[in-house]
Amino acid sequence: MLLTVAASTLVVLAAFLVPLAWLIRSSTADRATSEATVGVQPLAAVVGVADAATIRLAVEQVRSAVHEPVTVFLGDGQVLGDQRGRTGSVRLAALGRAFSADLAGGAREVLIPVIGRPEGTAVVRVEIPAATLTRGVTTAWGVLGALGVSLLALAMVLADRLARSFLRPVHSLTETAARLGAGDLSARVRPGGPPEVAEAGRAVNRLGSRIDGLLRAERETVADLSHRLRTPVTALRLDADDLRDPEERERLSRDVAELSRTVDQLITEARRPVREGVTASCDAVAVVGDRAAFWLVLAEDTDRRMDLETPSHSVRVRLAAADLADAVDALLGNVFAHTPDGTGVTVRLLPRPDGGVLLIVEDQGPGLPGPQVLLRGESTVGSSGLGLDIVRRSAEASGGSLRLATGRSGGLRVLMELGPPN
Amino acid sequence: MPLVLVVEDDPAIRSALIRSLGERGHVVMSAADAMSGLREAVQGRPDLVLLDLGLPDLDGTELLRMLRAVSKVPVIVATARDDDASLVRALDAGADDYVVKPYSAVTLDARIRAVLRRTLTPEADPVLVVGGLAVDARSRTVTLDGAQVDLSPREFDLLAYLAARPGQVVSKRELLTEVWRLPYGGADKTVDVHLSWLRRKLGESAQAPRFLVSVRGVGVKLMEPDG
Repeated sequence: MLLTVAASTLVVLAAFLVPLAWLIRSSTADRATSEATVGVQPLAAVVGVADAATIRLAVEQVRSAVHEPVTVFLGDGQVLGDQRGRTGSVRLAALGRAFSADLAGGAREVLIPVIGRPEGTAVVRVEIPAATLTRGVTTAWGVLGALGVSLLALAMVLADRLARSFLRPVHSLTETAARLGAGDLSARVRPGGPPEVAEAGRAVNRLGSRIDGLLRAERETVADLSHRLRTPVTALRLDADDLRDPEERERLSRDVAELSRTVDQLITEARRPVREGVTASCDAVAVVGDRAAFWLVLAEDTDRRMDLETPSHSVRVRLAAADLADAVDALLGNVFAHTPDGTGVTVRLLPRPDGGVLLIVEDQGPGLPGPQVLLRGESTVGSSGLGLDIVRRSAEASGGSLRLATGRSGGLRVLMELGPPN
Repeated sequence: MPLVLVVEDDPAIRSALIRSLGERGHVVMSAADAMSGLREAVQGRPDLVLLDLGLPDLDGTELLRMLRAVSKVPVIVATARDDDASLVRALDAGADDYVVKPYSAVTLDARIRAVLRRTLTPEADPVLVVGGLAVDARSRTVTLDGAQVDLSPREFDLLAYLAARPGQVVSKRELLTEVWRLPYGGADKTVDVHLSWLRRKLGESAQAPRFLVSVRGVGVKLMEPDG
């Protein structure tokens, strides 16, 4: 932007200043020439009528007045005043033509023929040195140059100001869009600048309000969902409590508890967008470290060796901290619930080269015949099937996956892959 | 017999509550919306109000505020929202306790009795003492041999629950439903890990217990250490 302004200003200035400089130079030379010509005019009048001695006197007077070399060539070959050779241009002037001619070295001569003397046409010559012809030109050019530079600077400053006033709203627009993208839904643009930019600002504001409104509505819907689902389960549970047959009551209560857990999970899942807002992200190293430290005391109380391997730097993943904490709790809780006391557990967090992280929870227990059953809620009542289902949903929500394998020592190895933030 | 007013818009729950609370020795009257609930609470002079927060005509928290302006009747709030913010709002508005849906008749009955006990004997000492351990339910502080013990809210609730039943074995299932207010999952280790933390903070371990003694396969009890 600034370069464009500088280039175009330079072209305009050159188109204007270069001819002006040329004009100043030639008009200075012309003025010096005409001054010299006017200065020797009285001498021409004297040469026309006076004798040689009078002419010589007049030449001296004129010389001291015009301060330039003045020479009078008489028709009889006499040369009065400053001694100069009778050049071709003098002879040309003797034919009766007045003219001026440029000399080598930048000087100029003015030749005026004087007709009427008995011995033939005389010629008055005045010589204007180069210094006189260009007197004041350098100063004038300097002034012009300074003027050009200041005009250029002024143009640049104005262009910069204009560019800023244009860019400020654009900058505010991109900043607001970035904040909205990062989840700050209170971010708004103050629309300004050119109409298009102002309109884009208003559009971004509308978008922000819309997302905010949608999230609010979502929150209401989820709260309502929780009420609508839990109310009938409550009725069912109260009815189950009322059954006379203890066996029947126990069976129905178990089913209601199972249903209730499923409803809880459904509500937790439905709350995810409300919890996360626009973008979810957390530091996996901090969250996993915190949860591992929380479970460590139980490990110590149950004679388990618990090893934690995490990178020394933080690794961000696309999952809310609360969701990752729940997943780690579910994974570690499973180990404690399904392996005998004294069984060791390893928690490893390996950053992936393309971002994100791989969380591995591996126990040294007896392992499971078919680990895949854990992924479904169809195993026996009260098992951790649902717990792992939560882990799988969180892994998938982050753009990763959940895999189960048999560890090196034969225990269960759970690999939870977590994607990098958007 | 205590008179309980049930304010609940769901007819199935209402009739189930009338039946099951009636069987457990309460006289139950009911209201299906907030305005009639408020009228009943003022005119019927119940001993306790069970208030559902999700009422069709007015938010239950608002009703609670209005009720508190005219009456000191104990209120247990029933809500489907289990987030902390909703619970804190309800308690701040003047609720004495809360139950999260889906609650069981047994839990509800136990809570009604507990709230009535508390409100009928307000002079009871809120500090529970077991050996060198003192649990102050009102200021939610715990001291061990005079020194303050820094506990998380959940750890405090767990200890306070056990301290209220010294020497009595409490099952993990009961702790999960009563302290966490969660349905029991069978394999849940949440209670265990919190017990471990509590032991740590009371300066003991599972191998060398003092106050918290595990009874294998049954549960845990809080008791005065020997010697």
